[in-house]
Amino acid sequence: MEATVSSCKVVEGGGGSSRSRSQFSMQFISNLTDLQELEEVYGRLCAEQNDAESQLEMLVNQQSSIENKMTVLQRMGPNLQLIEGDAEQLSGMISFTCNLAENVSSKVRQLDLAKNRLYQAIQRADDILDLKFCMDGVQTALKNEDYEQAAAHIHRYLSLDKSVIELSRQGKEGSIIDANLNLLQDAEQRLKVIVAEKFSVATKEGDLPQVERFFKIFPLLGLHEEGLSKFSEYLCQQVANKAEENLLLALGTDLSDRRAAVIFADTLTLLFEGIARIVETHQPIVETFYGPGRLFTLIQHLQVECDRQVDKVVDKFIQQRGYHRKFQQVQNSMMRMSATDKIEPRELDPILAEVALMNARSELYLRFIKRRISSDFEVGDSMASEEVRQEHQKSLDNLLNHCLLSRTMQEVIGYYITMEEYFMRETVNKAVTMDTCEKGQLTSSMVDDVFYIVKKCIGRALSGSSIDCLCAMINHSTTVLESDFREVLCNKLRMGFPATTFQDFQRGVTSAVNIMHSSLQQGKFDTKGIESMDEAKLSFLVSLNNVEVCSENIMTLKKTLENDCTKLFSQGFGGEQAHAKIDSCLTDLASVSNKFRDLLQEGLGELNTTAVKPQVKPWINIFLSVSHNIEEEEFNDYEANDPWVQQFIINLEQLMAEFKTGLSPVIYDNLTSLMTSLIAIELEKVVLKSTFSRLGGLQFDKELRSLVAYLTTVTTWTIRDKFARLSQMATILNLERVTEILDYWGPNSGPLTWRLTPAEVRQVLALRMDFRSEDIKRLRL
Amino acid sequence: MSMEDYDFLFKIVLIGNAGVGKTCLVRRFTQGLFPPGQGATIGVDFMIKTVEIKGEKVKLQIWDTAGQERFRSITQSYYRSANALILTYDISCEESFRCLPEWLREIEQYANSKVITVLVGNKIDLAEKREVSQQRAEEFAETQNMYYLETSAKESDNVEKLFLDLARRLISEARQNTLANSAASPLPGEGKSIGYLNCCNFN
Ligand SMILES: Nc1nc2c(ncn2[C@@H]2O[C@H](COP(=O)(O)OP(=O)(O)OP(=O)(O)O)[C@@H](O)[C@H]2O)c(=O)[nH]1
Ligand SMILES: [Mg+2]
Repeated sequence: MEATVSSCKVVEGGGGSSRSRSQFSMQFISNLTDLQELEEVYGRLCAEQNDAESQLEMLVNQQSSIENKMTVLQRMGPNLQLIEGDAEQLSGMISFTCNLAENVSSKVRQLDLAKNRLYQAIQRADDILDLKFCMDGVQTALKNEDYEQAAAHIHRYLSLDKSVIELSRQGKEGSIIDANLNLLQDAEQRLKVIVAEKFSVATKEGDLPQVERFFKIFPLLGLHEEGLSKFSEYLCQQVANKAEENLLLALGTDLSDRRAAVIFADTLTLLFEGIARIVETHQPIVETFYGPGRLFTLIQHLQVECDRQVDKVVDKFIQQRGYHRKFQQVQNSMMRMSATDKIEPRELDPILAEVALMNARSELYLRFIKRRISSDFEVGDSMASEEVRQEHQKSLDNLLNHCLLSRTMQEVIGYYITMEEYFMRETVNKAVTMDTCEKGQLTSSMVDDVFYIVKKCIGRALSGSSIDCLCAMINHSTTVLESDFREVLCNKLRMGFPATTFQDFQRGVTSAVNIMHSSLQQGKFDTKGIESMDEAKLSFLVSLNNVEVCSENIMTLKKTLENDCTKLFSQGFGGEQAHAKIDSCLTDLASVSNKFRDLLQEGLGELNTTAVKPQVKPWINIFLSVSHNIEEEEFNDYEANDPWVQQFIINLEQLMAEFKTGLSPVIYDNLTSLMTSLIAIELEKVVLKSTFSRLGGLQFDKELRSLVAYLTTVTTWTIRDKFARLSQMATILNLERVTEILDYWGPNSGPLTWRLTPAEVRQVLALRMDFRSEDIKRLRL
Repeated sequence: MSMEDYDFLFKIVLIGNAGVGKTCLVRRFTQGLFPPGQGATIGVDFMIKTVEIKGEKVKLQIWDTAGQERFRSITQSYYRSANALILTYDISCEESFRCLPEWLREIEQYANSKVITVLVGNKIDLAEKREVSQQRAEEFAETQNMYYLETSAKESDNVEKLFLDLARRLISEARQNTLANSAASPLPGEGKSIGYLNCCNFN
């Protein structure tokens, strides 16, 4: 043990490591005297030694792996050296390449600069050469009268960079260039004069190839506007010549000529077609030689001539047709009430047709121009700013809306509308005065006539292709139908359906059908001069039918016009608001249909109260004189000789026969519906005034069933509902005992919905003579 | 008739001499702008604006007519169905004021008897060029039973008020009319003669 301790101390002492040094120094140990202390220190030292040994062992164990690692590291050594060498080499190469690249790119830059300068130099040299070439070329070309060539040279010169020329002049050869430049400018002026002269000679001689030849030269000399205006002048002259010729021909037209009535419209058409052809023919040259966006200028010039010619034609039209005079007459006629000195509407017919045609042609022409200019602007403006586009759009709108042609036609149409309105109103009035009713017809002639006229007038306005004019005529038609014509029908209905006299009643109602047929033996009757009462009756019924047909015709007219207008819009007529405007005007027109429908209802109500009610009521009142407080014997007697209901049904049948033949099915059905309601109400009244026995109740039940069965056959409306209260009254009157009502009442009512109040049930029960009032009172309903 | 989203529909027609500013008034009201270089109107222009008055949607159909003589027969055809007319003149143009009686004759001749007419003196921003005094115009309007209002389409003075006041007046007239119509059951052709307002009321 000693030895171990000491050896341990040696190691520790030799190791010199303060960390593993023992906590006890030799000196400390040597000085120990106490055994206990020594033993304690010894124990500790032993523990230290153990620790040291295990550490040592661990280290020894690691030795081999460390050695392995060392060998690996040693083997790697040479490789690392290789890598280092390579890396150095690479870096060297990179920096070399970098330098090289920088070198190259700076050379490229220099080269670029050099190249650009070279190009500029070449360009300048070229330009100078060109300039010289132009100077020489222009002279030769002019000498050879090769104006295209000369102009091409001038064009080249004009497109040269002015600064280049300036620089060249400052160069060594300045004076020579100066001299040549002067020559060139001189030549330019000379060429301009020559081209203008040659052009004007060509136009004078009407030499179209030469005209076009020089027209193409203007833009080369930078004279776009001048070229266009000179060319237009030439074209305008042609337009004018042709137009004058046509107008002269027109004025000489024989009255028997097929086109005599529309000769001015035809003359305008020729004018427009001529201009359209010119535009079509020359548009390609303008586009090719003047560039896009120039067509507007050309057409603007042409429009001036067009306006001038239109003015002449329209002037002649106004003179020859007496347009203003007729307008004046119409205006005077509208003021006057008497028919004597009114202008005959028929006289206006041809002139109105011609004006519509004139306007249609104008609109067509304006639309053509609009399309052409728009698309030309579009090509030119594809890169332009919004402002430029709007500016162009505005000048186009301005041209179209405010050219004399537009203004002239607006004026002509202004008169037209007043005259067309007059024509419509007067012709409608005439149709009303000439109204007749053909045998077997439900409506009279004026309805068809009036709608024929209205359609004709609106159709004519539509054919004129002016949306505002069409709207105005729709508005006027609305007025004529709603005020004028509706008033006529109103007045007819106001005369009323003549009340049937007592004699009629006594005769047991003469079959009105027979009367009607006899009054129609001549086939017609004049609805104005109504003399007999039967005619008055018939007139009322016809008027009702007329009102219904009007209501339907208006809706049909609206739909037709909608379709027509859709077609018109799809062809590109009308501005952005056109659709909304037409829609609004047509909605107003359609609303008149409802007004006719209201009138029909009022008329039917009138018929019901004046013709049906006074007849039906007495027939129902007869019920009061037929006792229902009956015994077996009377009941059987009634069975054999019906006391009331059969005759009532026969009377109704006769009464309604007149209406059935005289009214349209729809109106007749409406009337029978009104009548059934009336019967139900009146019958209820008399039942409540009668008294019943048990058999009387049965009798009433039979009567009611017959009546309902009959009425069901004459109307398509369900009448069960209208007779529900009466049926329930019959049920009550048929009871065995008062209390039997409880089998049908309250929780026992089943599918039956009572239309009678408890008080009414008691009231009906009380009609039974055999029911005791105490029993009725005692009922809990 | 329609399930459209409004309670009332009224037609308002603007009339008056050319150049008094009808189109500018309408554009100011409907689009909130004063159009520079406004060209003369051709025929009639049509615009719609829906406003809300006390929670009710009122659709105003505004017809802006051309003042130039040659369009007279077109514009006349719109008078009859109008619920209201805005007769406009230019306070800086005596001539446009002097023509008013002529316009009134037109109204008399063509318009519905129930039409509401408002007289409008426009361009009050041109105060220094005024040729018609407010008092004179007011007196004239009074003799003709017209409402009178002075506006400036340019400065947006009273434009909103003009249309909204008119709409309010039209609503109350329409209400009275419906009441009057439902009161008496009319004979054929009477009473309901021109139910021009009740057709607009959908409630
Ligand atoms: N200073 C001023 N100018 C106005 C006012 N309202 C309109 N103008 C100008 O008056 C001119 C005519 O205006 P428009 O609105 O076109 O007149 P209009 O009554 O519609 O004319 P027509 O359509 O031809 O009947 C335009 O130049 C407007 O700029 C305004 O309140 N003040
Ligand atoms: Mg205007």
